[in-house]
Amino acid sequence: MSFSQTKEDKATEEALVRDLQNGNLDAYDKLAEIYQKKIYGLSFHLTRNQMDAQDVTQEVLLTLFRKINMFQGKSAFSSWVYRIAVNASYMKLRSKKKEPNVSIDELMPSFNSAGFQQEKIQDWSENTESLLFTKETRDVINKAVDLLPEKEKVVFLLRDVEGLSSEKAGEILDLTVPAVKSRLHRARLFLRKKLSNYFEEFSSRKAEK
Amino acid sequence: MICCKECLDLLYDYIEGELDSETTKSLEEHFEDCPPCISFLNTYKSSTKLCRDTLNQIEIPEGVRDSLLKVLKEQKEEK
Repeated sequence: MSFSQTKEDKATEEALVRDLQNGNLDAYDKLAEIYQKKIYGLSFHLTRNQMDAQDVTQEVLLTLFRKINMFQGKSAFSSWVYRIAVNASYMKLRSKKKEPNVSIDELMPSFNSAGFQQEKIQDWSENTESLLFTKETRDVINKAVDLLPEKEKVVFLLRDVEGLSSEKAGEILDLTVPAVKSRLHRARLFLRKKLSNYFEEFSSRKAEK
Repeated sequence: MICCKECLDLLYDYIEGELDSETTKSLEEHFEDCPPCISFLNTYKSSTKLCRDTLNQIEIPEGVRDSLLKVLKEQKEEK
C-alpha cells in the first residue's frame, strides 16, 4: 500500500480538494476513501491501540471536512493530512503514561578500534520466505517496530511503510532531509538487529532438530 | 580502503543510489573482501522489506469502518 503518488493521482486529488472546497460533498467521500486506511494504519502503528486509532482517524477525517478551507495548497494535500494524523496520534500518546524508551544506541553496530565489525553477522535474508506469514514472525516484527523510539518510529512509518519521499516526510515532521535520513537509517539498523536476533535463533533451533 | 564502520555509515545512501561513483566503487571493493558486510547489507535490506510488508497488511476492522461511516454521514447531513 505504499504511497508513491503518480502525477495523475496528484491531479485527481487536487481536483477533489478544490471540489470539496466548493462544497461538493461527493468529493469528500472519495478523499475519505483514499485516506481512511492510511490514517488508520499510521495512527494504529503510532499508538498501538485500536480505540486510539479509531479516534484519530475519525478526528482527522472530520478535520478534513470542517477545515478544508484552511488548506491553502502551500504543501501537498497528503502532507497536510499526514501532519494532522501524526499530531493527533501524538496527542493520544501524551495523554498516557509513558513507557521507558529503550536505548537505540545499544543496538547499533559495534566496531573494533580498526573500524571492523565486532560481531558475527549471519546472513538470514534468503531464509525468511517460509517464516514470513507465520503469526510468530508478524508478532516479532510488530514488537520490534513498537520498541523503536518515537522519533525514529514516525520517520520509519512515513518513509518505509507509507512510501513517502524524504522530502515529504521532512515537510510533515518539520525536519531537514539529512535529519530524516539519519533517523531512518538508525531505525533500519535497530530493526535489522532485532530481526536478526529472531531469525538467527530460528536457524539454530532448526539446526538442532 | 574503507573499513566496516564507514561501510555501514554509507549503507543508506548506497541503497538509495545517492553515492557518487567513486565512493560506490570503494564501497563495492570493500564488499568483495568482507562477507560480514555483505551479510549486513542483505539483512538490512531484507528486514526493511519484511517490516514494510508486515505493517502494510493492516486493515481497518469492520466495526471501526462502520462507525466511521456513520460519523461521516452525520457530519455531512449537518452541513
